[in-house]
Amino acid sequence: MNDGSVRKFYGWFTALGLLVGVLVGLGYYRDEYRPWKDYQRQFIREEIRRAATPDQRLLAQNTPIQLQQIILPELNRVDRCTTCHLAVEDPSYGGFPQPLAYHPLHDQHPFDKFGCTICHRGQGRATTAAEAHGNVPHWDEPMLPLKFIQASCGQCHEASDNPAAPQLARGQELFETVGCRGCHKLDGVGGNIGPELDRVGARRSPDWLRQHFLEPSAVTPGSGMPPQKFSEPDIDAIVLFMLSQTGANLPGFYASMKVIPSVDEGRRLFQQKGCIGCHTVDGHGGKVGPVLDDVALRRKPEWMMQHFRDPQSVSPGSVMPRFGFTEAEARALTEFLLHLRDQKVALSIPSLMAPPDRGREVFRKYGCAGCHGPEGKGGVPNRNAKTAQQIPALTFVGDSYTKAELKKFILNGQRDIASLDPQLPPPPLYMPAWGSTIKDAETDDLVDYLFSLKPKGEDLGF
Amino acid sequence: MNPQSNDKDGVSRRGFFQLSLGWIAGSLAAAATAAAVVRFLVPNVLFEPGQRFKAGTPDDYPDGSITFLEDERVFLVRRGNSFRCLSAVCTHLGCTVNRAAKGYHCPCHGSVFNEEGAVEGGPAPRALTWFLVTLSKDNRLLVDKGQVVEPDKYLVL
Amino acid sequence: MKTPLPKRIWGWFARTGVGKSIFRVGLPQSNLERSQAMVSSFLLHVQPAKVNRHSLRASYSLGLGLISLYLFFILIGTGVLLMFYYVPSTTQAYDRMKDLQFVVSAGLVIRNMHRWAAHLMVLFVMLHMCRVFYTGAYKHPREFNWVIGVLLFLTTLGLSFTGYLLPWDQLAFWAITVGTNIAGYAPFIGPKLKFLMLGGNVVGQEALTRFYALHVIVLPAAAGLMVAVHLWRVRKDGGLSRPETVGGSVQTMPQGQLPTNKSYGLMELARGTTPQVGRDPDDEVFSWPHLIFRELLLFLLVIAFVLFLAVFWNAPLEEMANAIHPPNPAKAPWYFLGLQELVSYSAFWGGVVVPALLVTALALLPYLDRGRRGTGRWFARERAMANTIFSVCLAVAVALTIIGTVFRGPNWSWVVPWRTPPAITEGR
Repeated sequence: MNDGSVRKFYGWFTALGLLVGVLVGLGYYRDEYRPWKDYQRQFIREEIRRAATPDQRLLAQNTPIQLQQIILPELNRVDRCTTCHLAVEDPSYGGFPQPLAYHPLHDQHPFDKFGCTICHRGQGRATTAAEAHGNVPHWDEPMLPLKFIQASCGQCHEASDNPAAPQLARGQELFETVGCRGCHKLDGVGGNIGPELDRVGARRSPDWLRQHFLEPSAVTPGSGMPPQKFSEPDIDAIVLFMLSQTGANLPGFYASMKVIPSVDEGRRLFQQKGCIGCHTVDGHGGKVGPVLDDVALRRKPEWMMQHFRDPQSVSPGSVMPRFGFTEAEARALTEFLLHLRDQKVALSIPSLMAPPDRGREVFRKYGCAGCHGPEGKGGVPNRNAKTAQQIPALTFVGDSYTKAELKKFILNGQRDIASLDPQLPPPPLYMPAWGSTIKDAETDDLVDYLFSLKPKGEDLGF
Repeated sequence: MNPQSNDKDGVSRRGFFQLSLGWIAGSLAAAATAAAVVRFLVPNVLFEPGQRFKAGTPDDYPDGSITFLEDERVFLVRRGNSFRCLSAVCTHLGCTVNRAAKGYHCPCHGSVFNEEGAVEGGPAPRALTWFLVTLSKDNRLLVDKGQVVEPDKYLVL
Repeated sequence: MKTPLPKRIWGWFARTGVGKSIFRVGLPQSNLERSQAMVSSFLLHVQPAKVNRHSLRASYSLGLGLISLYLFFILIGTGVLLMFYYVPSTTQAYDRMKDLQFVVSAGLVIRNMHRWAAHLMVLFVMLHMCRVFYTGAYKHPREFNWVIGVLLFLTTLGLSFTGYLLPWDQLAFWAITVGTNIAGYAPFIGPKLKFLMLGGNVVGQEALTRFYALHVIVLPAAAGLMVAVHLWRVRKDGGLSRPETVGGSVQTMPQGQLPTNKSYGLMELARGTTPQVGRDPDDEVFSWPHLIFRELLLFLLVIAFVLFLAVFWNAPLEEMANAIHPPNPAKAPWYFLGLQELVSYSAFWGGVVVPALLVTALALLPYLDRGRRGTGRWFARERAMANTIFSVCLAVAVALTIIGTVFRGPNWSWVVPWRTPPAITEGR
């Protein structure tokens, strides 16, 4: 009956049984022996060493080895960084070698409400160093190099408002003065020659951005963007500012951080709400309410805050309306008023300026310098353009156009730019139609400013 | 008569050894697989609100205050420099108790607890639980709802 | 001789009162017990008490059907385990996949096993189909079993396709976008079919929910039922196909006549084409242990292989699904790439007509090819034409699949991967 036909397989049976056993064992080993457990053991040993009382030593010895995570439902993330970075909240570990080092700034941004990846990026759900730090295939958000960390502040805070992020403020300043908005829209304002920048920080890496500033056509073939000449610190600053534009839509708790009361914000609100209509600053303004230059000497901050909340409650009979300011807005305006004496802040309130100065603000606001050069001096290349392969300077624009013509030109733009050599591709840069973006009054001011660019003494009159 | 499954010559020593090894390895592999499956099903991380939470700094709580923390359903009690944390979950059927002039009342079925959490009236079977309060390294009150302590255990700063 | 210890323990248990109440036969020691072990066991009785020796030959069937079945079991086992962590929500699915990879014990290995077993199952079902064709095992009386097999093949493709979407990463999202678009090309019913599949017009939450329901209950239940019928038909059609020269060939038993030389009780009354117990004893051996042992061995082999793949190679997981960033090119799963290649020539003819014709021809094959000769042998001469036609179709399908996988780049353009420089990617 039994001809041994089964027996010949015994060897196979053994081999396969052993193989399955070995593979299961291998899988188990890889699962159980994880680097994060080693780091936790290291931390526990250190804690035991530092334990001052037997109670503390017992507490340290009984610490379980387990995964740690911070769950952030409003940010839609889970951060497991603290599985290895165990001492982030303990100041006594300052300067300890990573991953057991202390992390400052915990007070303003408690880790259990913010987690880690909202600022540092990376892959929060991962539990190995390489995967968590995110420089792996198929993960779009690797950790930000530490020198660019201020970019993350810009997700919640206004760039210029945060004293703890000077590089970010510098980046924004550069953005405004160099005139990037002339070609790129940001927050809905700007030209449409280049792409919108609202999400550029989420889509591009720091290296790409840096390359793009130095030599745009190297990373974007056919780009008409002129190479930018920045100093090294400035390149870092503007790259940082770009990185902060992630288009992140942060929910209430976090977005409310967007307004840190500050003089700048106060000035913006002052201008926006039209306070100058009733109050005088630096000799300009309305006469309905009192002069504000020395209000800091006369009133305490608490009085001013209450005044913003409800004018009639501290100033009976006042006709000042209740504006419905948020607490943060009221604080910003208070800050502004308190500093009014110090900084000649009034001079930069647009509605107090003369038209050419207002026009300069418009020139700055829409980034005209990006194509026409600082103060319209020109020098920005435009490949194959008939106008000496450059974007025309604006210094003598007052001689070539009447004010009405110039205004029309600004509003309608000029899409087709004459080519120097018809065989080559047409020039990449053109004049956008600003009519849909610039307000009418602004255009008048801008034209006034442009007319004022001509150096004095050159008007020969004939 | 049908012969036995084992034939008369007997299996060779090598064959026997192989077969035993095969069976043992196979059984061990099967056992290891079963263990792995069970371990797989045990979660390593929980997405529930944690048992341990931070209740702010000691300075957030005035002396002599009893503060209700709504999200965690506990009362944080401070007297002088001593801190305690009392569960606000009624031991009867789980409603949240309210602070009364002295002690706590449960609005659902009328249980009454005194300042120490002991039952003074109503259907509650047990006293309210006190949780362990420690001070974290970054100077915050750390409450662990997984650790129950006696009513007289304080965190003294 | 001494039986190994685990076997002795088992044997002892099987003979205790408790053991006997569960396993009515215990460890078989006699031929009667060997037969009873098969026949009176719920799990095993779909197999016969004795099998023809020819059926045991690995070189004949290559065990392909069994391998497909084992892969199915592995998929069910790992699939059920994965269900304990996976959530079919567009906002949670991807994160859950990451959790399986990072925080669930054995999560990575089990997910890998599931993925590799899925690919292997599609492959082995196809190989099994080829084997059955080349051995002419679809001929009378096994025609309907072949049809069930074709249905099982389509169900396997459906299972793989529905499962493909569940990780909700870029690979999943775009593969299913392509796949459902191809389905939408069918005349008249195409757009409606696509709407029904997606539960809407876009690949979104509705699609994910439907695909999940199909993947975990509808299609597995259908497949399970059909597998049961498929195996039952193997029994009823006379066991695995055999050449005519091998004894124990199919004979029709005259109605009402039972062999008189048997001492067994009547276990079943079989009319029609079943092996005749007691007529050709030399060609048959007891299933226990010959068939059972080989089956166990094959199972160990399959699970060892799947485990091996799972421990050393990770199943892919790309970035989270992003409807605004299609990869270029967006490719369907590999078993549909031949189809996608056809579609690139003509949506209607390539995507609808040719596949429909192929599937119909495949299903109707046993009724189109009514010849009775050539069953039970590989590449039988009598079936040269049928074999040739099939081989040509197979070669074309394989070639199209290879083209779609290797030689198609951005915008479905022709690329030669070892000569084309890498494209300037969107750059980060």
